[in-house]
Amino acid sequence: MIAIAGCTGGGDGSGSGSDGEGSGEGGGDTQSVQLLTMGVGDNIKQFFEENNAAFESEYDVDVEFTSVTWDNARQTVNNRVDGGQAPDVSRWPARWIPQLVGKDALEPVDDLMDGKFGEKFAEGVANGTMYNGSHYGVPWAASNKCLYYNKDAFEAAGLDPENPALDTWEDMLSAAKALTESDEVSVPALGLAGADAIETGSQYYHYHWSHGADLVDDEGMPVVNSDGAVEALSFYTDLHLEHGVTQSSPLSSTRQDIRQLFENGDLGMVIGHVYTGLNITESQENGEVDFDYGIVQVPKGPAGRYSLFTIDTLGIFSQSEHKDVARDLIRFYFDEERRFQYSKQKGFLPVVEAVGEREYFSESKNWGPFVEAGQYARARPKLSNFSQFNDRMVQAIQEALADQKSPQKALNDAQSDLEDAMN
Amino acid sequence: MSLAEEHTQTGGDSRLSQSAAHVKRNRRAYLLIAPAALFLVAVVGYPILETFRLSLYRSPADSTIETFVGLQHYVDILNSDIFYRLLWQTGRWVAVGVAGKTLLGLLIAVHLKGDIRGRKFFRTAFLIPWGIPYAISAVVFRWIEHPQFGYLNAILLKLGVIEQGIGILGNPDIAWLGVVVADIWIGTPFMAIIFLAGLQSIPQDLYEAAAIDGAERWHQFRYITLPQLKSVILMATLLSTIWTFVSFDTIWTMTGGGPISTTATLVIHIYQVGLQNGHLGLGAAYSVIGFLLLLLFAIVYLRVYTRGGEEL
Repeated sequence: MIAIAGCTGGGDGSGSGSDGEGSGEGGGDTQSVQLLTMGVGDNIKQFFEENNAAFESEYDVDVEFTSVTWDNARQTVNNRVDGGQAPDVSRWPARWIPQLVGKDALEPVDDLMDGKFGEKFAEGVANGTMYNGSHYGVPWAASNKCLYYNKDAFEAAGLDPENPALDTWEDMLSAAKALTESDEVSVPALGLAGADAIETGSQYYHYHWSHGADLVDDEGMPVVNSDGAVEALSFYTDLHLEHGVTQSSPLSSTRQDIRQLFENGDLGMVIGHVYTGLNITESQENGEVDFDYGIVQVPKGPAGRYSLFTIDTLGIFSQSEHKDVARDLIRFYFDEERRFQYSKQKGFLPVVEAVGEREYFSESKNWGPFVEAGQYARARPKLSNFSQFNDRMVQAIQEALADQKSPQKALNDAQSDLEDAMN
Repeated sequence: MSLAEEHTQTGGDSRLSQSAAHVKRNRRAYLLIAPAALFLVAVVGYPILETFRLSLYRSPADSTIETFVGLQHYVDILNSDIFYRLLWQTGRWVAVGVAGKTLLGLLIAVHLKGDIRGRKFFRTAFLIPWGIPYAISAVVFRWIEHPQFGYLNAILLKLGVIEQGIGILGNPDIAWLGVVVADIWIGTPFMAIIFLAGLQSIPQDLYEAAAIDGAERWHQFRYITLPQLKSVILMATLLSTIWTFVSFDTIWTMTGGGPISTTATLVIHIYQVGLQNGHLGLGAAYSVIGFLLLLLFAIVYLRVYTRGGEEL
């Protein structure tokens, strides 16, 4: 919601935005637009401070900027929407769009995405914000994943660090066994997420999809216990239970834990985002860590290779009383140079095509593999109750990892519960 | 009208008129307490009634549509295995947590009452855990118990007790104990301070007389301290039981109710069902059941401890 300091309008009347399509709202008094986003850390705080100030100056609008942690993001936005106090513009994971649309909280932005502005995005990226035939946001950030490996550990175990042969899951397992059996390697071979956290699902789905399994069918009904799914979960749990190539107690480890282990040089391999490499590079430059690493594509399974793709959107809330200014803010933030700075500093894949084509990304050791991984991108299904769905899947993963249930039984039970929940 | 009915009617009229007269006589007093009473109704009564009303509806959080389902949620809950598992896990969490806090608090209080060196320092030091926000303490304990980064495992590894880090909070069999330890650490200072205050109110003469009679320290504790502290222990454990039952921060921060929901209590489940998964009606029904269980516990507890007419 926009808090109006004056009566109407603001800015210089031109509202030029980045591509000259801004609305402007003539007038004299200053308005304020509320921008809510998540996970603004030290690496990106200055970016928002500077650009919010630039927008305020250019449009004569006050930007009320709020950042919350991801843990609180969903609850914060839901509370504000339910309380009639939604921000004007907010960053929001695309997979949660159905829930917001379900309560009529989001404003369609087809006018933006179907016009010249929408041509900035690759078709696949733009489609990531579509639901029921409409765009309910502008792609704000994207991320996918690759497999990191510790070159020093590979070399110590007698593996070729420059040609690590990590094309399939079986290749990965062979390398993990070699690392585990080597007397020269003291770190665990593979990071496996199994904690009670949403990200445990996102680490596991690579295995699930690559074994030909799906999460829901075309009607949106759960299909989590197919033969391929059982094979995938069996492989995942055997990494720990049978082969013992993971860190101790995967059930205690979140995705962040195993990423941190790798970044410290205390792990052989991990599936991670681009910022894992960026963090290590920074630590190397600061003299905090001293090991070399490589990045390859997430291994493929019998049914192919997938890299979990996540898109966050920048959406306008229906409750906003000044949607034109909100659109101006969005256009402003999608200036090509701003997007370049954002992706560079934040460590997210560029969503604007022209930015992704810059040498900074295509020629980079850290970014190159992730740009390439775009061809293996696969997003989570858009379900209004995806969080509940994912929680149940995480429970199944945990039951199998704890050896409480066989993968078949764990997935059968999950399937049954999910059918009940979705009927 | 029969005589009995006439008597009842008369008696009723009489009581009504007595009440009216009483209110009239004390009108000023009632006016003075009216704001407080209204406030209580607004901030205590209304949320309770609203929770009960909500429990009779299927009410998804992502929609404004509410469908009346009567007592269906209650029937579903009482017929579900999850509910009885939650009862067991909640009971285990409360019983061990409150017992730990009570025993440790009593032990600390007895020692702090004695004339030990640095008594003032220890009295202050023992209060520190109580002064730290629960969530912060929980984060600290989560890190202490972390298999790769935690002090506990680092020490055990250094001593050669274990060969690789143990993930206490990731082990479905012992994760709840890992959380209970944190809860006991957080809650013990309150119990210690309350018990210390109670101990200081016990007349010293009783101990002197017992000592002259040759009573040993254990007998003094058994026959003087405990009986004298009875009412204090009753109130402290009752409060601690309620707080532990509704405790959310520690469990949520340390495990989120996992792994495999083994550390989830009724309160954690209410949050997951009602707010995370958006089933407000079902979550409200769980809340009402939890409220009734606590109420029942408090009534039975107080009855048992005040048996024989002894007042608190």
